[in-house]
Amino acid sequence: MSNWLENAVARADAQAERGSDWLAPKREASLKLLREAKVPTRKTEAWRYTPVRVLDQVNVSDSVTATVKAESIAGLESLDLVFVNGEFDVAQSHSELPAGVSIVRIKNADAAAQIWALNAFSNVKPTRHLFGLVNDVLAADGVLIDVAAGFEVAQPIRIVNLFTKGAEAHTRVLVRLGEGAKAAVVEQFSGNDASFNTGFAEFDVAAEAELEHYRFAMQIDEAISVGGSHFNLGEKSKLNSTLIGFGSNLSRVDIDVTHGGSHAFAKLNVIYLLDGKELFDLHSTIEHAMPHGTTEENVRGIVADRSRVVFNGRIHIHRDAQKTLAELNNRNLLMSDKAEINTKPELEIYADDVKCAHGATVAELDKQALYYMQSRGLTRSQAQVMLNFGFINELVEQMPNEALAEWLRPQLRERFARMEVK
Amino acid sequence: MSSEKVLLKIEGLHASVEEKNILKGLGLEIKPGEVHAIMGPNGAGKSTMGYVLSGREGYSVESGSAVLDGVELLELDAEERARAGLFLAFQYPVEIPGVSNLEFMKASVDAQREARGEESLSSAAFLKLAKEACKQVDLPLAFLKRGVNEGFSGGEKKRNEIMQMLLLKPKLCILDESDSGLDIDALQVVADGVNSQRSPDRSFIVVTHYQRLLDYIKPDYVHVFSDGKIVRSGDASLAHELEAQGYAWLTDGATETEEKA
Repeated sequence: MSNWLENAVARADAQAERGSDWLAPKREASLKLLREAKVPTRKTEAWRYTPVRVLDQVNVSDSVTATVKAESIAGLESLDLVFVNGEFDVAQSHSELPAGVSIVRIKNADAAAQIWALNAFSNVKPTRHLFGLVNDVLAADGVLIDVAAGFEVAQPIRIVNLFTKGAEAHTRVLVRLGEGAKAAVVEQFSGNDASFNTGFAEFDVAAEAELEHYRFAMQIDEAISVGGSHFNLGEKSKLNSTLIGFGSNLSRVDIDVTHGGSHAFAKLNVIYLLDGKELFDLHSTIEHAMPHGTTEENVRGIVADRSRVVFNGRIHIHRDAQKTLAELNNRNLLMSDKAEINTKPELEIYADDVKCAHGATVAELDKQALYYMQSRGLTRSQAQVMLNFGFINELVEQMPNEALAEWLRPQLRERFARMEVK
Repeated sequence: MSSEKVLLKIEGLHASVEEKNILKGLGLEIKPGEVHAIMGPNGAGKSTMGYVLSGREGYSVESGSAVLDGVELLELDAEERARAGLFLAFQYPVEIPGVSNLEFMKASVDAQREARGEESLSSAAFLKLAKEACKQVDLPLAFLKRGVNEGFSGGEKKRNEIMQMLLLKPKLCILDESDSGLDIDALQVVADGVNSQRSPDRSFIVVTHYQRLLDYIKPDYVHVFSDGKIVRSGDASLAHELEAQGYAWLTDGATETEEKA
């Protein structure tokens, strides 16, 4: 009996037989690994709490076409790149680009772009991500974004991924920031009908470059979404990344940050909100390979009803990564005794002169604060909503882009309004 | 200023926390417009009175009653007591990161207005009031945008409590050691805030260890708490006596009386 993984391999084989393109060598390498891979089970550590059998039950095809409009975000003047069911939508995307930025579809890459992409592809994204390999071999479309050294892109580059019922889609994004370049990239995923997508993005951030990054993994209900954002940080570069996760039948994000140069700085804020029977799984790995790096990772979530969250946060400090400062904090609010939180912060330290801290808490709402708020006239439920919101709003407030924060807040509020305390 | 009406009447109040009796037959009557100071040694139950009246969880009332303006408080949820006109300025105000002061106060004022059948204020109208209150307690306007009490100094927290009082306009304010940890300037600000709100229909209970605050907020009555009840009442001059002589002469007597009874 064939399963989705065998299916994926078979389709990749068929594709290879139809002809090859410039990415073929990369695909071949990943296909080789994929052939040896097994469908993850409860015994597979990276998938221990996250069953993938829904993939065998969902009815999807990679040839579903649809017309969907990407909604703009009030107050945000972005350079939009829109994908509908995995296919780049030229009409909805911006083609006029500011100086210093080049954006091309993978299939249209010229010789120069092919050379850097071939060098960069799958170099930032580790090969251990099974669905990353699936994406490697099946991604039919995607973009290469190249910001030249020293250029600052004033408008955020917004990659909108829209999915409709029955669609299977695999898209790939590769971003390079040259030395001292500055840019903001937003990865947005939406569409709640039964569908399956893998969306992987790799970011190569050169020395002294600054990347502001957002991933809005906000598909709910029947959507199945597995993807990742992967970063390599050059010397003295800076990353400020915010991930918003809602849960669905299966929603999984992998984040990898490699401090590939010394004195790099990474700030990673994550908010997840889960309701109903939703599942959200975040695995993050921070590799401190070089000295004097800083990582601040704050992961906060609220888990209601019968939903389940999995968080595995690993910080690996290599032998040479002296003077590393790394902090990982995971705080959870549990709103129901049927909700489940599987959290596992991991610190692995091989250097002797570092400052690291990690912690995870699961708590109910602060009773003192509830009483304080009630004593001012708010009902308990009003106070709870406000307190919940405050808990994550602390991280929303840290988002550098005010328009995105303003866009996000009402959506988070609305989600709360539906979450019940049980 | 005296009227026959009673704003708050506490009778025979017995209350405990974690099965330990703290209030042991407290009685107190406050008329509209009056300021009552409550003094007494640590552990006498002064703060407990505020918590019990405001409905803090974990405090159980064994017997007695507390009626505010015709409403029995002890049967109500904390928010209903607030809506009935009770305000407690906390000794240790709680920090609520991520919830702005302005948002918190707007929601509180709206909730209370709604309970009284009044329309909620427009954001602009409320902002104007909030700015005035903020200035009155001498806090920078930026404090309206900051998380409730988040990272505030002790004095700033106390002033923030007074700002909330100014906006909520309660009938009865209980100030629980609002002077503790304040320097003389902050003390003046807190006292001015309270004095500006004194009116024939608003009353105050000022809980304090020190006579100093009472130089700024002149009480009509001073009560001494000991072992869960009032053992001595008098006018403002009693505070001076206490300052001079301490509590021992009063509390010793109280124990004797209790033993005889």
